[in-house]
Amino acid sequence: MIGVGKAKQYANVLDKPLGRGRQEVSLSAFAFLFSEVVQYNQTQVDNIAELERRLEDAGYAVGARVLELLCHREKGNRRETRLLGILSFIHSTVWKVLFGKVADSLEKGTEHEDEYMISEKELLVNRFISVPKDMGAFNCGAFVAGIVRGVLDNAGFPAVVTAHFVPIEGQQRPRTTILIKFAEEVIHREARLG
Amino acid sequence: MATSQKAARLGEEVWKTRVDKVNAELVTLTYGTIVSQLCADYDNDYAQVNQQLDKMGYNIGMRLIEDFLAKSNTGRCGNFRDTAEMISKVGFKIFLNITPTVTNWTADNKQFSLLFDENPLADFVELPDDGRAQDELWFSNIFCGILRGALEMVQMSIEARFVSDVLRGNDVTEMRVTLIRYIEDEMPPDDE
Amino acid sequence: MGTVAIYSLFIINKSGGLIYYKDYGSAGRMDTNDSLRLASLWHSMHAISQQLSPTTGCTGIDLLQAHNFDLHCFQSLTGTKFFVVCETGAQNMEILLKTIYELYTEFVLKNPFYEMEMPIRCELFDLNLAQVIQKDRVALLGR
Repeated sequence: MIGVGKAKQYANVLDKPLGRGRQEVSLSAFAFLFSEVVQYNQTQVDNIAELERRLEDAGYAVGARVLELLCHREKGNRRETRLLGILSFIHSTVWKVLFGKVADSLEKGTEHEDEYMISEKELLVNRFISVPKDMGAFNCGAFVAGIVRGVLDNAGFPAVVTAHFVPIEGQQRPRTTILIKFAEEVIHREARLG
Repeated sequence: MATSQKAARLGEEVWKTRVDKVNAELVTLTYGTIVSQLCADYDNDYAQVNQQLDKMGYNIGMRLIEDFLAKSNTGRCGNFRDTAEMISKVGFKIFLNITPTVTNWTADNKQFSLLFDENPLADFVELPDDGRAQDELWFSNIFCGILRGALEMVQMSIEARFVSDVLRGNDVTEMRVTLIRYIEDEMPPDDE
Repeated sequence: MGTVAIYSLFIINKSGGLIYYKDYGSAGRMDTNDSLRLASLWHSMHAISQQLSPTTGCTGIDLLQAHNFDLHCFQSLTGTKFFVVCETGAQNMEILLKTIYELYTEFVLKNPFYEMEMPIRCELFDLNLAQVIQKDRVALLGR
């Protein structure tokens, strides 16, 4: 696999710049690239479920790399061991780095012990995207679900993560919820830790 | 030259006042995942990956040109030298906040180089260690397609290709751009 | 007050094909075939006007003034054309057209589900366009 998962090698590891993380590019650049990600993956699949999976996989790689970068930079290599800690990390730090803001909300699911939701009025990745009616509930936010899964998986919190449009009464546009369903082992470990 | 300064000022102004910005890392990571996907889909056939990157770039370029035109509010360039300055000081500036150096013009003014001392697409990237990528993959090849697609939409047929890349261990990252021809407008066909 | 009547909006691709048409109250006098034909005619007229120009560098028709309407046209360097039919003497139509051009670059061209040169069916484009037009136009009743 290419560069996304690797850091540059330096003669002296202490010389490695950690990346100031302050450089900016245009939102348009991202929008056009992301549009190509979607278009390219459409050519590689036969149906919407496959497209969703490929977008999630594309996001997974990003998530894994983001975790690596952020752990070095923000937390001095300290690992999150608690569930709320990692969720908060994603909702605040990861979101801020990738999307320029913290996520609108983080909630625990009411029906299931193992479910949590991160919600946004509108995901940055969807800002310019209008999904055709004949694609039903398809959400390009699957890419973001993949990012979240990539972070969680590599931080030791395996989960199934999916993106959903949620219609809001009185609003023309639905908001998006990233639904996180943790693996059993995570819930059990969390209970043991008290 | 006057055009270069004007272009630089325009690029700065548009970047400062008319461009919504995101963290560069979002783009670096997204591009990295594109290249990864292609390498996986094409079984690390880097010639194919280069071609796909160029094709993707071409698709982007055809759309990006309108965004460029809308934001920069600029008219048609008088000559290819002006075009080069617009690409470097306005185009790359307003999308990626970089201004590659325009240099190495041929005597007929139909070919020039872009030297990239910064490249957000390739930050912290290392090519795979399989002994082939170093010689065969042009990591940022999407730029070539973008230029080709964008300029075709404003009636210029060009060819763009990388000749060196620091990711390959070269000293510089250099893209060579050649004007093939200006595409003339045709009269619409007579109604039957 | 600055409100003005906008009767219709056309967007045509570089080959003269109609990719967007919105009727804001010309009493529905045009059906789909009419609008397609009109778009194609305008594309040809626009091109011919460049030949008619006594000087070089003419970029086509910007304004057509008729007895009971004005037509303002904006052409991007790529050949994509945006034109509005509006009430005579309407001000700031150039700005409106530029704004619509920007909406096109955002909500049409950045949409991965939009195929180049094809008719525009992008919900976000419609929504944002409606907001922009709303600011400028006055509702037409029974014209």
